Amino acid sequence: LSVQTLRMSNRYDVIVIGGGHNGLVNAAYLARAGKRVLVLERRHVLGGAAVTEEIFPGFKFSVCSYVVSLLRPEIIRELDLSRHGLEILPLDGTFTPMPNGDYLWRVNDHAKTRREIARHSRLDAEAYDEYGKAMLEMARFVKPIMSMTPPDPTSLNTKGLKDLYFLGRRFQNLDAEDKYNQVQLMTMSAVDFLDQWFETDVLKATMSASGIIGTFLGVRSPGTAYVLLHHYMGEIDGAFRSWGLSRGGTGAISNAIADAAREFGAEIRTEAPIAQILMKHGQAKGVVLANGDEIHADVVSSSVDPRLTFMKMIGEEHLPDDFAADLKRYKYRGSSGKVNLALAGLPDFKCLPGAGPHLRGAVSISPSVEYMERAYDDAKYGRFSRRPYIDIVIPSLTDPSIAPPGKHVMSCFVQYAPYNLREGNWDDQREAFGDTVIETIAEHAPNIKDLILHRQVLTPLDIERDFGLSEGNIFQGELTLEQLFFLRPAPGWAQYRTPIRNLYMCGSATHPGGGIMGAPGRNAAMQMLKDMK
Amino acid sequence: MTYDIIIIGAGHNGLVTASYLADAGLKTLVLERRATVGGGSVTEEIHPGFLCSTLAHSAGPFLPNVYKDLDLKRHGLEFIQPSARLLAPNPEGPALCLWNDQARTVSGLEKISALDAKSYPDFEKSFARIGKVLAPLVTMTPPSIDSPAKAELWNLGKLGLSFRGLGKRDAYRLLRWGPMAVADLVAEWFETEALRAMIAARGISGSFAGPWSAGTSTGLLWQSALDGSATGSTIFVKGGMGALTQALAKSAAARGVEIRTSAGVSKIETSADGATRVVLENGETISARAVVSNADPRTTLLNLVDPVELDPSFLLKVQNYRALGVTAKINLALSDLPAFDGVDEADAAEKLAGRIHVGPDIDYLERAFDASKYGDYSPAPYLDITIPSLSDASLAPAGAHVMSIQVQYAPFKLKEGNWTSRREEFADTVVDTLAIYAPKIKEQIVARQIITPFDLEQTYGLSGGHIHHGEQTLDQSFTFRPIIGWAQYRTPVKGLYLCGAGTHPGGGITGAPGANAAREIIKDLKRRNQNRER
Repeated sequence: LSVQTLRMSNRYDVIVIGGGHNGLVNAAYLARAGKRVLVLERRHVLGGAAVTEEIFPGFKFSVCSYVVSLLRPEIIRELDLSRHGLEILPLDGTFTPMPNGDYLWRVNDHAKTRREIARHSRLDAEAYDEYGKAMLEMARFVKPIMSMTPPDPTSLNTKGLKDLYFLGRRFQNLDAEDKYNQVQLMTMSAVDFLDQWFETDVLKATMSASGIIGTFLGVRSPGTAYVLLHHYMGEIDGAFRSWGLSRGGTGAISNAIADAAREFGAEIRTEAPIAQILMKHGQAKGVVLANGDEIHADVVSSSVDPRLTFMKMIGEEHLPDDFAADLKRYKYRGSSGKVNLALAGLPDFKCLPGAGPHLRGAVSISPSVEYMERAYDDAKYGRFSRRPYIDIVIPSLTDPSIAPPGKHVMSCFVQYAPYNLREGNWDDQREAFGDTVIETIAEHAPNIKDLILHRQVLTPLDIERDFGLSEGNIFQGELTLEQLFFLRPAPGWAQYRTPIRNLYMCGSATHPGGGIMGAPGRNAAMQMLKDMK
Repeated sequence: MTYDIIIIGAGHNGLVTASYLADAGLKTLVLERRATVGGGSVTEEIHPGFLCSTLAHSAGPFLPNVYKDLDLKRHGLEFIQPSARLLAPNPEGPALCLWNDQARTVSGLEKISALDAKSYPDFEKSFARIGKVLAPLVTMTPPSIDSPAKAELWNLGKLGLSFRGLGKRDAYRLLRWGPMAVADLVAEWFETEALRAMIAARGISGSFAGPWSAGTSTGLLWQSALDGSATGSTIFVKGGMGALTQALAKSAAARGVEIRTSAGVSKIETSADGATRVVLENGETISARAVVSNADPRTTLLNLVDPVELDPSFLLKVQNYRALGVTAKINLALSDLPAFDGVDEADAAEKLAGRIHVGPDIDYLERAFDASKYGDYSPAPYLDITIPSLSDASLAPAGAHVMSIQVQYAPFKLKEGNWTSRREEFADTVVDTLAIYAPKIKEQIVARQIITPFDLEQTYGLSGGHIHHGEQTLDQSFTFRPIIGWAQYRTPVKGLYLCGAGTHPGGGITGAPGANAAREIIKDLKRRNQNRER
């Protein structure tokens, strides 16, 4: 091998830091445009938080992220992910058990859901139609915003003005009612917003739950209404509103994207942790691996969060003071945990016994608005919720390939679990937290305790350690209004560029934020390709 | 006999509107339900010889141009601004005091935290700059969201320019702070919990929100828009807040405005020309070319207007307008000046002259809020206290004092019992809380007046007992106050206008809604005259 080829093999157009779904999407689009791309992943598996792992023999877990709905259809199309093995199975319905022995069970079949809601309130059943229509309009309005690079409102060039004008016009073209709804969605709390439509407490509780996922906010906190939209943006093959599971777990999504990237010529290395980003004259020049290897590239694109990218891999001393200060202000504050269970059988819910289809969707432990609010109160004062909100999915019912015959995988997303505990630390509290979750579920499905073959408890600390998400925030930073759009992740740096020349961000910490969306990775790639011309 | 304008409610905004309309040559009648004018800005004798600002106890501050236009000075209005702004008594150590004199505040902070002493001036400066940019909004009629007029776009354009003028850093601060939880905002600036709580309190005053609720920072932004400071100066009126509305009434009378008290309106009637008649509780009807309501939006549009006059979707929006109050008032007649922990007797008179803040840390304020979420009043409430008699001896007998306490949180709807059955126990909770900081207070109480949220509705006509005529969250502010599409002081009922705190820029004794409303009403009536002439 000649020195020449050696140097060549160590020279890339772009190095992408992190093999999470956004990093892979970013790499795929860059490779597709003919760039020589290298993806470096710290762990032995790809996918970041969109990963499938066999943590207990025969049981494959979507360890962190567990449902898909926001994955941008243009990405599925443009990267031809179906051909690369992406298969999304419908996850039908949300089942909410109630302490009084009743339940609320919403499914995709609108008429059915309407009848179910009518059991609780005729008025709400009617409102549900109106609500659905209104939210759909809103979702259509917001959609294009997700795939645009946020303008900088403080120094508007013609492009920025054009973008703002575009937004303004779109808003002006909404009819009065939709304008009204849009404003409310952006500013109100989920509960206040839903109060206007519905009277059934459990309905409001379980719907508002989606507004607090991954945030350190309560269902009554302004700004939480917006996320209600996401449920209407979930597009699988164009079908609005449905959520799904990917066959083989969420890791299969990452693998499909990785295959696409490789086919376009991207190179992907796992177990390649990065020690620092190589800097020369204040510009990014490549990376230094933990093993000391230097790899050079014209451009570095980081899909890990800003704290890791700038504080760990670059160092505050290389950053402008204002930018460093903004990064420190950027709020992570992980608030959720995950409990993954290997089960010998299916849980039996008191309010609706048997292994019926209600177990095939999500089971939401969100019996009342007050329950949700009290769960939040605990977190505010630095302890995990005594009675947490839990979003349960049993993917093995829809995708038998992930568990041994007759056995099941159960994924429990839990909130609130504040990263900063006021008493003790997560290493001591881990099992107590796990027990609380099981106890909570057992109140509704007592047989759960006898079914557990294996339990994995992920605290925010574990999410930080194992998956490199600072403070265990699943969205790489809170999705609150002051950290969205042109403010994400830092004022003036919402356009995927950074104060370090040739260094870009392409992860969930950039617009439009977290969830298995892929939009940040794609938007960043577009921006980078423009700049690299 | 008929009038050009009938104004329902002689609160400070109603009286401001009345005077401006009279100046425009309109024959104006103001109808007040109570026996005295003033609405939420009144002085009442709570005990023989003890005069107290029963509701609002400090001015917003009041808009200087209104003060001038209505020559309120000549009509006897005199503001008093004590040198102390806000004092936080402290059982463990010296009390923390914010002064109008920044240097003095800073030197006090230096004893507690060098960092905070350093940040404070920057904090004030930044808010002053941002306040300057926002100030024009206060006196601006919110632009129409559907079809903004050229003038409106022009105003917004000017605003946009001054926004750009802020420079990147403050511009982005403004954008970030708007939707932010005030607890986060103060944590970005200061390390001392007491200071954080004192400043954060501005963001939650009068609203159903805790310091951890998103959007509570807007309270600080509005405050700085009004008086160039986020901490907010304390401004009294000589003779109590009632003297302000008395001066407004005199000014109005001098302009030919007719004011009738004990004249509650029970109904607004419409004709082909829109709202042209009101029916009094005693059955009397009075006609006018237009009707202006100083009452809150819910009272006006749900109680006074016949529902058939409003289209269902608008009606629904009014019903959804959030106006459930969480504030109560306890007013005390005191035998002498109470001693507060952490305040030496020597400088007590000076330090206690401003507002006194009971709410030692952010968690305390948030916990106080928690209770109200579940329909109970705070076991340990947040108190905003004034002793106006320190700055105005005329309010109490020699040596004695009046103390006005604004209490949060006291939700309008209680889960257990009701405000009639629990008022005394509630007042005891407040006094007990106060006694932690002023141990001898109980022996000093000569009389106490309790005003629960229920009383605020019954006695003062505030729907839901909300002192701001409705929550001032982002979705109920500016172009969205009270209802999106109807933020220009007009209502869907032709000839019916709103001029109270339920309109932009909202609550507080500022006179701004009243002045803005008058401008729009005059515009319309001129237009109608021209059309008639044509």
